[in-house]
Amino acid sequence: MIKLTQIRKSFGRNEVLKGIDLTVEKGEVVAILGPSGSGKTTLLRCINYLEKPNDGQISIDDFNVNCKRPDKKDIHTLRGKTAMVFQQYNLFRHKTALENVMEGLIVVKKLPKDEVRQKSVELLEKVGLGSKLDAYPSELSGGQQQRVGIARALALNPEVILFDEPTSALDPELVGEVLGVIRKIAKEGITMIIVTHEMSFAQDVASHVVFMDGGVIVEEGKPSEIFNDPKEERTKQFLKRITPEGVYSI
Amino acid sequence: MAKVGEPFDISYVFEYLVKLLPTLKITLLIVVSSIVIGLGVGFIVALPQLYKIPVLRRFSQVYLSFFRGTPVLIQLFLFYYGLPEILKLVHVDVVKVPALYFVILTYALHSGAYMAEMIRAAVGAVDRGQVEAAYAVGMTGFQAFTRIVLPQAMAISVPVFANLVIANLKDTSLAFSLGIMELTGKSQTLAVMSRHFVETYISLAIIYFMISFGLEKLFHLIERKLLKHESRIVSEEKETRVKKAKTRRFAVGLGFTRGGRENEA
Amino acid sequence: MKLDFAFIWTAFLQLLTAVPTALAITAVSVFCGLLIGTAVAVIRLYKVPILHPIAASYVTFIRGTPMLTHLLLIYFGLPILVDAIAEAFGLSFRSVSIPMIGFAYVSFSITAGAYMSEVVRSGLLAVNRGQIEAAYAIGMTTSQAMRRIVLPQAFAASLPNLSNSVIGMLHGSTLAFTVSVVEINAKAQIVATTNWKFFEAYLAAAIIFWAITFMIERLTALAEKRFNLYNRGGVS
Repeated sequence: MIKLTQIRKSFGRNEVLKGIDLTVEKGEVVAILGPSGSGKTTLLRCINYLEKPNDGQISIDDFNVNCKRPDKKDIHTLRGKTAMVFQQYNLFRHKTALENVMEGLIVVKKLPKDEVRQKSVELLEKVGLGSKLDAYPSELSGGQQQRVGIARALALNPEVILFDEPTSALDPELVGEVLGVIRKIAKEGITMIIVTHEMSFAQDVASHVVFMDGGVIVEEGKPSEIFNDPKEERTKQFLKRITPEGVYSI
Repeated sequence: MAKVGEPFDISYVFEYLVKLLPTLKITLLIVVSSIVIGLGVGFIVALPQLYKIPVLRRFSQVYLSFFRGTPVLIQLFLFYYGLPEILKLVHVDVVKVPALYFVILTYALHSGAYMAEMIRAAVGAVDRGQVEAAYAVGMTGFQAFTRIVLPQAMAISVPVFANLVIANLKDTSLAFSLGIMELTGKSQTLAVMSRHFVETYISLAIIYFMISFGLEKLFHLIERKLLKHESRIVSEEKETRVKKAKTRRFAVGLGFTRGGRENEA
Repeated sequence: MKLDFAFIWTAFLQLLTAVPTALAITAVSVFCGLLIGTAVAVIRLYKVPILHPIAASYVTFIRGTPMLTHLLLIYFGLPILVDAIAEAFGLSFRSVSIPMIGFAYVSFSITAGAYMSEVVRSGLLAVNRGQIEAAYAIGMTTSQAMRRIVLPQAFAASLPNLSNSVIGMLHGSTLAFTVSVVEINAKAQIVATTNWKFFEAYLAAAIIFWAITFMIERLTALAEKRFNLYNRGGVS
């Protein structure tokens, strides 16, 4: 279980996160929605400490990090329990697809190479890239690169996988293949937190939806609640702008 | 220098080519030692700038400004005469140390300044997302730097590094003024003895040219190998970024970003 | 021997007398180098037959050999050439009457020419092809297009490299001591050996060069600002 308590973050004088409380149960798929500047990406990046929160607490099961005085070792442990899929894929350019997936396990978890290799091959086959093991990122399409990114995240066997707008940088025709893979692993019961703009995808895959605006969580609940019967005015405004009239079906 | 020489005789060019080759050892020794030490110096000087460490950063800036703002010949004399004086103050006596050590040290410090700028630009040219992914996967700062950033930075800095090495090679021709018997010094001795000045210096030029030509080819091969993961267009873009970053002006006081004297277009 | 700070100042003042010589060498070599370099760059860009490989070899040779070697070759080789031509044409000029500094001028100009050709070439290449096409499209002649559109942009683009080259030639002027020209380095040697204060003399020399280099960099920064007004790439 992941619990965020009163997370605050400011960039200079700009307060981007104004005290976020969020609980994510094991196996849940949480979608975070919201307009640009709402702080959703910042919140996600705080969970694996790519952004340093100014205050609050992050806990994963029994493990706790106090964001006011974080220990360097704690941050390291936190990153060991989480994995991230980036908007810009961020595959290691000088390593092949297979090496990308293997890298974390060899260097961080220090597992034996043969075992790692086998597991990585399986994962790449799972995301549909079994034929591209020795390809470099520069030789892969955006969709393929992102799928490698997902395999890389899965390889680490994390408590939670964080998705930072995974399809935003993709050409429209490639979005489907990536969403397909995400849908597949969601069904396997892996805890996931996804920041996305893909509304129908969020409705489809998420077990819990969070709407953020202006650095706070405005509303959260089941997808059917949020999309069909939003309670807050801001939520209604946002959904109106994003989805065409009357197309909220479950 | 008295100039009355013997009539031109091309056979001397070939004869002296052979006679000069043994001295090539000394020149290459200076180049290799000063480049290796210079790389170390470059890293040490670049680190405060890369990690934005407060006080040390200023020292780096002053260091860079000095070693790129004064001629290498002046630096050679300055350290040759000055270092023993400074070391005397801490009761270290270097009177007996051969001039060669001073020379190598000075070249190392000089090249080191240009290396530092090269390192800074190359590391800066590596996409920030690579580092983030490394952290997200759980690597420590050291692991991220050595396994992810450094290999990529090295690949894109090969052309710049090649230029620095060749510039260093050419700078060694000044070492004769401190009595070092490297190529230029030896050629002057030979020329004065036979009074076939032009032929001697033609041989000298040929040797230098062949070495720099060879070095260029070698580095080209190394670059191809290190960049095998990039498509051609992307690697050229990154190289341009490193070269451009080297010569970009930073508004802060002393200008520190001038690239090597022999500038690459 | 302790450091004599007062002497650094004395040395500094004495060295100042050599500064004009150093600047003259720099200026002449940069100017002539630009002339040679522009010609070479144009030949290479337009791939002028016969001249093109000669130009390319010239640049490769100069850039692959030390500046000092060039100086030595010119110093000993030019008189032979000059005397041979003078005798062939029956002129009364003899190479002995060439002042020492002349060799520095000639040699450094040849060196500078190769590096300048790269500066000019990259500056011209930096100008988008579309610029000259647009110029033709509105009816300009080639010379107008070059003068009004291409060259100003090429100049702005080449400023950093140009500055580097000028500083490089300034630092290179120290080599002139080998042909008995009294520029800053030679003067420092004289001051040092006369007063037996080596460190102080060379420190003063270093400071002078540092200061001049700094000024050139400042000037370049100002020039870049002025000439790059139209170039609003970047963050501010």
